Amino acid sequence: MLNLLKEVIKVGEATTKYPLESLDLAPGFRGKPVYNPELCLACAACTTVCPPNALAMDTDTEHGVRTWSLFYGRCIFCGRCEEVCPTGAITLSPDFELAAFNKNDLVVRADFKLLECRVCNRYFAPGKELTYVLALLEQAGLPGPEVAQRRSLLEVCPECKRKCNVESIKRVGVGNPVEVKR
Amino acid sequence: MVPHEISPKIGQHYVDALRARFGSAILNEDWRTSDQVAVTVELNSLPDVVENLYYQQGGWLSSVIGNDERSLNGNFALYYILSMEDTVKSWVMVKALVPPHQPEFPSVTAKIPAAVWYERDVRDLFGLNPIGIPDNRRLTLPDDWPADVHPLRKDAMDYRYRPEPTTDEETFEFINVEGEGIVEVPLGPLHVTSDEPGHFRLYVDGETIMDADYRLFFVHRGMEKLAENRMDYNQIPFLADRICGICGYAHSVAYSTSVEAALGLEVPERAKYIRTILLETERLHSHLLNLGLACHFVGFDTGFMQFFRVREKTMKMAEILTGARKTYGMNLVGGIRRDILKEERQQCLKFIAELRVEVNTLLDILVHTPNLVERTANVGALEPTVARDFSPVGPTVRGSGFTRDTRADHAYCAYGLVPWSVISKTGNDVLSRTLIRAEEWYESAAIVERCLDNMPDGPIMIEGFDYKPHQFALGYVEAPRGEDIHFTMTGDNQKVFRWRPRASSFNNWPGVRYMLRGNLISNAPLIVASIDPCYSCTERVTIIDIRKKKAQVVAYKELERYCRERKHSPLK
Ligand code: SF4
Ligand code: SF4
Repeated sequence: MLNLLKEVIKVGEATTKYPLESLDLAPGFRGKPVYNPELCLACAACTTVCPPNALAMDTDTEHGVRTWSLFYGRCIFCGRCEEVCPTGAITLSPDFELAAFNKNDLVVRADFKLLECRVCNRYFAPGKELTYVLALLEQAGLPGPEVAQRRSLLEVCPECKRKCNVESIKRVGVGNPVEVKR
Repeated sequence: MVPHEISPKIGQHYVDALRARFGSAILNEDWRTSDQVAVTVELNSLPDVVENLYYQQGGWLSSVIGNDERSLNGNFALYYILSMEDTVKSWVMVKALVPPHQPEFPSVTAKIPAAVWYERDVRDLFGLNPIGIPDNRRLTLPDDWPADVHPLRKDAMDYRYRPEPTTDEETFEFINVEGEGIVEVPLGPLHVTSDEPGHFRLYVDGETIMDADYRLFFVHRGMEKLAENRMDYNQIPFLADRICGICGYAHSVAYSTSVEAALGLEVPERAKYIRTILLETERLHSHLLNLGLACHFVGFDTGFMQFFRVREKTMKMAEILTGARKTYGMNLVGGIRRDILKEERQQCLKFIAELRVEVNTLLDILVHTPNLVERTANVGALEPTVARDFSPVGPTVRGSGFTRDTRADHAYCAYGLVPWSVISKTGNDVLSRTLIRAEEWYESAAIVERCLDNMPDGPIMIEGFDYKPHQFALGYVEAPRGEDIHFTMTGDNQKVFRWRPRASSFNNWPGVRYMLRGNLISNAPLIVASIDPCYSCTERVTIIDIRKKKAQVVAYKELERYCRERKHSPLK
């Protein structure tokens, strides 16, 4: 008992003054994911890997809108989204104070315009994703005219691409109106 | 099916002995890894083959897996997993096929009591009937679950299906212990030690427990079904983490290594070391937690506070190493996601040195608390013979004189690469199990230090491998409470075909009945706490007086108070 008493006196106060003082967190602490819609391409890589489905992607093909959303209530702070994001649009922060009065305050959303397919005029992919791919190609040294040609190829939805044979794909040329023989 | 010729074949002689004894009843031998073999046997010889491996060849029952293989071979399959621990350590999976038109199999439980929960589990989830099982009650499914819906049959239900509850009353049939003077004490719905859900019934004569029965699984989460249907290979490690709030990392390693074994992947050595460090960090905090609880239950709350204060440092270690207070989210199939940097390594070494001094002081105070020895010695005996029959794991079995430890018996990760010792004691009681945790704590600290000192440089993840369909193997980890074992079979759609995680407490619970018998009712919380159980969380105790034939429900808090103060019996 005496030893215990000594120990208790030696230790003194074991608790910290949180929340009056901030907590001392280790570097690399995994907290609230922070999202930057400017950088986001709506590519859906993060929504595919997210283990608890905190991230979701809904596509409204009628109005040509794709909605990216993150519900912090489900997030487990694993950082898989950060790991797979090609542009750094989502990164984990050290913020762990997520309590909110309203569940809706825990949701972040962003809408992206979808591109219309040049062949069938149906919405199919986010325009930003395409721009990003083309910028990458340009950076890799692809000459301007070729980039433009790729653009018209990429503006065809996968379904139409499958339907077109190699010949007709070629005819989806630069700036030409598209005719597809079925 | 074997991707490449396996060699060496460790444990071949176990199979040869089966062939010599059972001849044509042994249908096939399929080496999954160099120490995991699946032996297919005639369904009718299943109990005899398993019994032979268990009692004649030094096997222990680690798991039983049901699998709906109708889409693969037209049948249901059963795998009885035996950890062979004679001089040669290896795994034998005894496989038998059950035809769908006759969904039943001869029960192994009559020969090996350890199989009882497994066979009830397979019956609930697959609708395969164990013929001749001594205890045929529901286990995993709620008592009012529709009788003809067996969730793990591939065609049974959508994974989101939740039938309406049909009754608010508990309909589970508890065993009936009758005799002059026996009183029934229901314990629960909250658990006696950790506020988790389970319903206990203690049959007492005066203050002495004559027998016990319990109903658990009130919080079965259906993770196996969820994993099969909605997760991909690299999402499951994060689900496996959440099997347990204390030792979840052990499950995520067990899962990842099971897939790696099934695919024949060898993870980089550095990843093995890091996994070992994180596993032992988890044990460091878990054992301190249990030691704190031991203080609490003998009425020594200052000790409880002190252990929890010191434990905080192990949580900080986890934060430094993984970025979170729990060692969660670190594994993927093929390796580990986060490296350990030089400064992190130094910080951890410093923490361990400080922890060692602090734990020394606390343990010294604890063992010199007269109450501890007086309250825990010769209490809650798990006799070695009972242990042998029920295949318990972890400190529970090591407290009864056995040196079973998966880290030594089937060295995985880096456990074969650094020196350390298995701790075991022969007292069979609560005291032994508590002291084992105390001594093991120092071993864990040493393992972390040695791994931090010796880990080689290099990659921590392998990439660019393919998932071959329908490969299966085991992954296993000695969690703080004992062996966790996962069976995984890959599928052909980037999802698992079958994933069966088995937590250590599953093997420890069936023996608790025997540990409670003959003890004072005031010791019940202490005994249950000594296996450091997991339920996944609320408790009710029903105490039945067999003499007065009177049942009385005691609130858990009341029993806990009685355990700590041992004054004013709630039965009077
Ligand atoms: S941190 Fe993990 S759980 Fe949270 S949004 Fe990212 S991937 Fe999903
Ligand atoms: S991975 Fe990055 S770019 Fe792609 S949708 Fe997610 S946040 Fe946006």
